[in-house]
Amino acid sequence: MENIGVNWQLVVAFLINFLVLFGLLTAILYKPVLKMLDERAAKIKESLEQAEKIKEQTSRSEEQIKAAVEAARKEGQVIIAQASQIAEKIKEEAKDGARKEADAIVIKARDAIKLERDKSIADLRSEFSNLTILAAEKVIKESLDAPKHRKLINEVLEQSNTFKQN
Amino acid sequence: MSKLGCSSRLVVILGIVLLALFLASFVMGPLGSKFFNIQVPTELQVSKPHVVLPSEAMFHVGDFKITNTLISSWITIILLCLLFFFATRKMKIIPGRLQSFAEVVVDGIYNTIEGVAGEKHVRTFFPIVTTIFIYVVTNALLALTPFWGSWGPIEHVTEGAHSATVIVPFLRAANTDINLTLSIALVSFIFIEYLGFSKIGPLKYIDSFFQFSALGKAFGQLFKGDGKAFISGLAFGFINIYVGLLEILSHFIRIVSFTFRLFGNMTAGEILLGVMTFLVAFIAPVPFYGLETLVGFLQAMIFAGLTLVFGVMAVTSHHEEGAEHN
Repeated sequence: MENIGVNWQLVVAFLINFLVLFGLLTAILYKPVLKMLDERAAKIKESLEQAEKIKEQTSRSEEQIKAAVEAARKEGQVIIAQASQIAEKIKEEAKDGARKEADAIVIKARDAIKLERDKSIADLRSEFSNLTILAAEKVIKESLDAPKHRKLINEVLEQSNTFKQN
Repeated sequence: MSKLGCSSRLVVILGIVLLALFLASFVMGPLGSKFFNIQVPTELQVSKPHVVLPSEAMFHVGDFKITNTLISSWITIILLCLLFFFATRKMKIIPGRLQSFAEVVVDGIYNTIEGVAGEKHVRTFFPIVTTIFIYVVTNALLALTPFWGSWGPIEHVTEGAHSATVIVPFLRAANTDINLTLSIALVSFIFIEYLGFSKIGPLKYIDSFFQFSALGKAFGQLFKGDGKAFISGLAFGFINIYVGLLEILSHFIRIVSFTFRLFGNMTAGEILLGVMTFLVAFIAPVPFYGLETLVGFLQAMIFAGLTLVFGVMAVTSHHEEGAEHN
């Protein structure tokens, strides 16, 4: 053993060396670096999880937006359908009203015409009877002969004509 | 184009110079001078490597010898501490270069250990195994730098009829001192046995060698009245005790094998480099320096790896371990 140099003092010295190196490396290498690696791993994991969460959220909100758009479209369609229905109704109502009004006007006009006519007829009749009475008076007043008769009637008619023209 | 031509010309010139250096050193070396029968002044010769296994004392402090290998190991420790102190002084989430280096070292070794020991035991093994690896590999690589083994007082040694001039280096590869390898082997041994005792319990750990529980079961068979099972159980029980004794012996032999594996490989490497430099002083030793770099890494990995594997074997119970014994 002496020939290859085993020396217990030196073994102890090297043992102390090794332990010193062990302690120093633990303090300045293993602890800080492992801590940093752990921290970084935790951070990466956290970021990945966050990214996943955000992705999920995005897809969820996208779906929500899609659903909202779909609902709005449906609502719009409903509104349009309702509006066109209402418009149809209004048109129909307007048409009905117009027709009724026209009918009323026509009826009114007809009534008015009828009234006018009745009045004219009544006027005419009274006029005519007056004339007849006038003529009869004249006829009765004078002695009646044929030519005179004719002349009288013509006179009356002429009078009535002049009346009519007035 | 002209720039490229210039640089390729430079390469050619450099190649010629290196080749000339190689040939000159070959001719002037012991092989060439014998072959061509020329006398070379001794000042121009590289001295023959003089193998001294014990490390040489540089100073004495009282009774204690401060050897050149001890100084080397101090330098290793100082360099490592400086490097990693500056690397991890200000730890940042986004690392700088030095911090990245420290992280690569730690993370690489950590993952390797995790692969062998499993996630549960990584942090138990990590500090010791990593320290062994870094210490051994730094010792080995530092020993390949120019200052090691070449710088020191010259002594004249007479061995029988021959007399030779030898350098007693101030700095000698720390791994070539058996005291250093023995100290790491002891650390490894104590660490492994401590793990065995503490992690799976002292009684269970001792039982994992001798399998007393099997012997107890055999006595149980006796009380049940099964004589045949008792006899065979007793026989196997004694075989187990014998195997356990051998196994305990093998645990102690690990110290020796750890010690001599590293010591032998590193000493052989030093001698190989010395001999190559002695034969052909220039160029020829370069590939061997590459080889020794590899060997340094490999030996550090083997030392740390075996510590790890033995430790894993100690913390896993005997039954799970199965046929891993060798």
